[in-house]
Amino acid sequence: MSDRLTNLKTILWTLVGVLAAVSVVRFTRGLGSVTNLSDAAPWGLWIGFDVMSGVALAAGGFVLAATVHIFGLKRYHGFLRPAILTAWLGYAAVAVGLLYDLGLPWRIWHPILHWQHRSVLFEVALCVMLYLSVLTLEFAPAILEHPLLDKRFLRGILRILKKATIPLVIAGIVLSTLHQSSLGSLFLITPYRLHPLWYSHIIYVLFFVSAVALGLMMVVLESLLSAYFFRHEVHTRELAGLGLAASVVLWIYVALRLGDLALRGVLGMAVDGSWHGALFVAELGLSAVIPATLMLSRRVRESRAGMAVAAAFTVSGMVLYRLDVSIFAFLRPPGFGYHPSWEELAVSVGIVSAFALLFIFFVERLKVYEDVSRRPRSEDEPKPSYDPSTVRRLQPRTLAAPGRFTGAALAGAAVALLFLPVRGSERTPSPVVAARSVEGESLDRGPARTHALVFAALDSAEAVTRARTTALPGMTGRSTGAFPGSRAPLEKTTLLLLVDGNQDGYAVLFDHEAHKERLGGDTSCVMCHHLNLPPEANTPCASCHRDMYDSTQVFDHAQHIAALDGNEGCVQCHAQGVKVKSYATSTACSKCHVEPVATDPVIPAAPDRWPKAEGYMEAMHGLCVTCHKREVQRHPDKYPADLAECGTCHDADRAAQLRELEPARDRAVLSRPPDGLPAAGRDARTEGAGPDSHGTPAASATGAFPGAGGRQTP
Amino acid sequence: MIRSPAILVDTTRCTGCEECVDACKQVNDLGADRLRPGQEGVDGLSSTRFTTILRRPGDHFVKQQCRHCLEPTCVSVCLVGAMQKTPEGPVIYDSDLCIGCRYCLTACPYGIPRYEWDESVPYVRKCTLCYPRLKEGKRPACVDACPHEALLFGTRDEMLREAHRRLKANPERYLPHVFGEKEVGGTSVLYLADISLGFLGWGGHLGDEPMPPLSWASLKKVPPVIVGMSTLMGGIYWVIRRRMQLAAKAAEGEIAAMEAGGAEGAGGPDEDTPAPDPVTSRPEGSDHE
Repeated sequence: MSDRLTNLKTILWTLVGVLAAVSVVRFTRGLGSVTNLSDAAPWGLWIGFDVMSGVALAAGGFVLAATVHIFGLKRYHGFLRPAILTAWLGYAAVAVGLLYDLGLPWRIWHPILHWQHRSVLFEVALCVMLYLSVLTLEFAPAILEHPLLDKRFLRGILRILKKATIPLVIAGIVLSTLHQSSLGSLFLITPYRLHPLWYSHIIYVLFFVSAVALGLMMVVLESLLSAYFFRHEVHTRELAGLGLAASVVLWIYVALRLGDLALRGVLGMAVDGSWHGALFVAELGLSAVIPATLMLSRRVRESRAGMAVAAAFTVSGMVLYRLDVSIFAFLRPPGFGYHPSWEELAVSVGIVSAFALLFIFFVERLKVYEDVSRRPRSEDEPKPSYDPSTVRRLQPRTLAAPGRFTGAALAGAAVALLFLPVRGSERTPSPVVAARSVEGESLDRGPARTHALVFAALDSAEAVTRARTTALPGMTGRSTGAFPGSRAPLEKTTLLLLVDGNQDGYAVLFDHEAHKERLGGDTSCVMCHHLNLPPEANTPCASCHRDMYDSTQVFDHAQHIAALDGNEGCVQCHAQGVKVKSYATSTACSKCHVEPVATDPVIPAAPDRWPKAEGYMEAMHGLCVTCHKREVQRHPDKYPADLAECGTCHDADRAAQLRELEPARDRAVLSRPPDGLPAAGRDARTEGAGPDSHGTPAASATGAFPGAGGRQTP
Repeated sequence: MIRSPAILVDTTRCTGCEECVDACKQVNDLGADRLRPGQEGVDGLSSTRFTTILRRPGDHFVKQQCRHCLEPTCVSVCLVGAMQKTPEGPVIYDSDLCIGCRYCLTACPYGIPRYEWDESVPYVRKCTLCYPRLKEGKRPACVDACPHEALLFGTRDEMLREAHRRLKANPERYLPHVFGEKEVGGTSVLYLADISLGFLGWGGHLGDEPMPPLSWASLKKVPPVIVGMSTLMGGIYWVIRRRMQLAAKAAEGEIAAMEAGGAEGAGGPDEDTPAPDPVTSRPEGSDHE
């Protein structure tokens, strides 16, 4: 059993399997996990294809309904039901596609309740919802005619629906006119972002006209495809009629498009050799000029192959038009390109496949194609299993086909799972971010994600033996030996610093207490904390080191103003008479800050001016490696020879150690400070030793900044 | 709170210390920066950074944040009204209404709103001009934090007056333009600068026309389209049906005449429609699409 249709279904089921696997990740891990969308590309393939192209591709429903019911061209009646079914399923597919794309899909009904009539998208949403309902009613007779539903009550509904045909058709035409054009109007608001070859004040007219042509050609394509797969006779003469009409509409579209460009004076951009110009020419040729020219010829219109080619061109070209407007011609800052991820493609293709299967399901069971004359069957071709007119199985039910389809879907899902990101989305090497100390409230988010620096506290038995400290420098006197809100007293913990500037989880494990002891206990702070705030209250490194690699300005002007009695103090740095008051014309910092506190600091004495703070990486390396090198030279007996080598600190085993710490960290002492202040930086400020005072070593050593805290908490 | 609050950013005073960014992060409880793949540096805004300092060549620092437009594009495009212009002026976001369509991100002429791409329940994030703080009578946190008086806060009229006063007093210090006074209908964040700030808007330049009327141009056509299209379709339907009925009647008459007289006269225009039903026969002139 392997005729065309079964093969097609197997392929479709495989793609649905892939869709299922991707869906799980999409809905559990967020849009970012499977898409390449970003703040610079907020709309991608799912809007461009699933929604914008999906709606356009389903335009055949209203075009054919108008042709048959309004214009009275009854010879096209045979195309109507398939066209309505295509449109109905097409719009349903759009709705499903939207569920994937919306950030909060469970609120898709919100536009019904919350109106905002100045939004084009609101109009589109309402029209699409209404039109989907209209299409349901338009297609309902086909379902109600099914012999299984031959009940009196349902017959009544069927009668009413048939009577309501004309009002429904007119409603459908009005709604379609509105939202087919409004999908273009969505981009009226982006004059600065949409390339001039696509941005147009009549974009809604272009969208509507192109949708009419596309609708006609979709009917052609769909009937050729079903003729192939269901082995129907092709109604060549009617197809030729549709082709001629489409050709006329396409020429109108071409004239409008080019006329609009000419009027706006940007026609030249199409041939200026740029990428966008080439894209425009290709799109217009593919979507309109080539097929419209082809279909001018009667021989092409009356040949199946000719119409197939023309339909394929228009359909792909018009889809490209939608993709251009929403993706390719949508301008982004350099470096913020967008191309769909394979998962986005898989979802788009998977949804189409699922609805193609539904289409086949309806065709096989309902009277979708009227009086189709089947072409004579060949001998080896299997008979259909189902007779729609009698609802009887023609062949005994076998498990072969369902089994095959299930297998295909499972295989698709399994293959997709292999490639799906179970990882979180990758992070680029990132700048240092506000580090938090022990009180940091957001510690529960995990060290790798949010922290450059956290304190980890162990309270395991093993850790207790390693415990060496009772408090951190600067923490003494704040509380009774334990951090606020802690469960374990500090005596039982050892404090380790996780230095993770990359935020990639590969932290360097730093034993703060051991270093402190080695360098001389409580007096040693200034050895490393180079801008030494006397009560070094865990000033987050990131308060100065903003960027991994870039240096940052550290001088705090306001603090100096406050310390030097406001306006009176200006002249102490900016000498009288200097008009331009800037860093360059001011006196050197070292004029006041004369005495470096540390006699043997790790960081060499500050130069005349404090320039910018180093980038984080430079600072850390400068701080640690300098000392390591020196120590290993001075005391080769005391330290291992590789003390100053990269791997000593950046140790893969340390990373493993770090991961082991995680449960301990959760159990440990980390919690919000009782006064509800969120971060350490703020805490420190309220105590009068802000991280801002980093730039002012000696002065802060004397505690001369009364304004430091006051400014932050007025 | 004051009506139409505004911030005046004097970029010539900004040293890029990013105290404003810190203060903003603390007040809005934003936590650490989390970057999307491919987003280098924290130059731009993100869902955890409502304001940032853009570094331009030659040590120029420009504060980036929501402009709180007088006629906000994001408010006009939001289909459920989640983006709101408060009566006082700041543009705020109601996360309870948002459906996550991200039209605001697409439409903002300054490219400000950011999305929480890595959340399974994501929201739009952007500066609120510290609306809650303003209501308490405080100033925006970034203004309070600025150590260099690069940020000034007051009513929009005051800020404009001050900006023009500075332009007049120090013409050599600034380019003679208050960025945000007229751009896209005017914004509540105004800039004085000694470099061109065109890069702050998409495409390098923004016009003075407000954006919402662009959509309205098409939206105001909705009622006429509804009325016009239904009348047109109804009319065409009625006319064509009428003509078909007349044609059918004529055909009947002809047939009757033929039967009566046995004379010739058949061979009408309907050779291609084999259907005998007169209603399905195609009358001339109905070929239009």
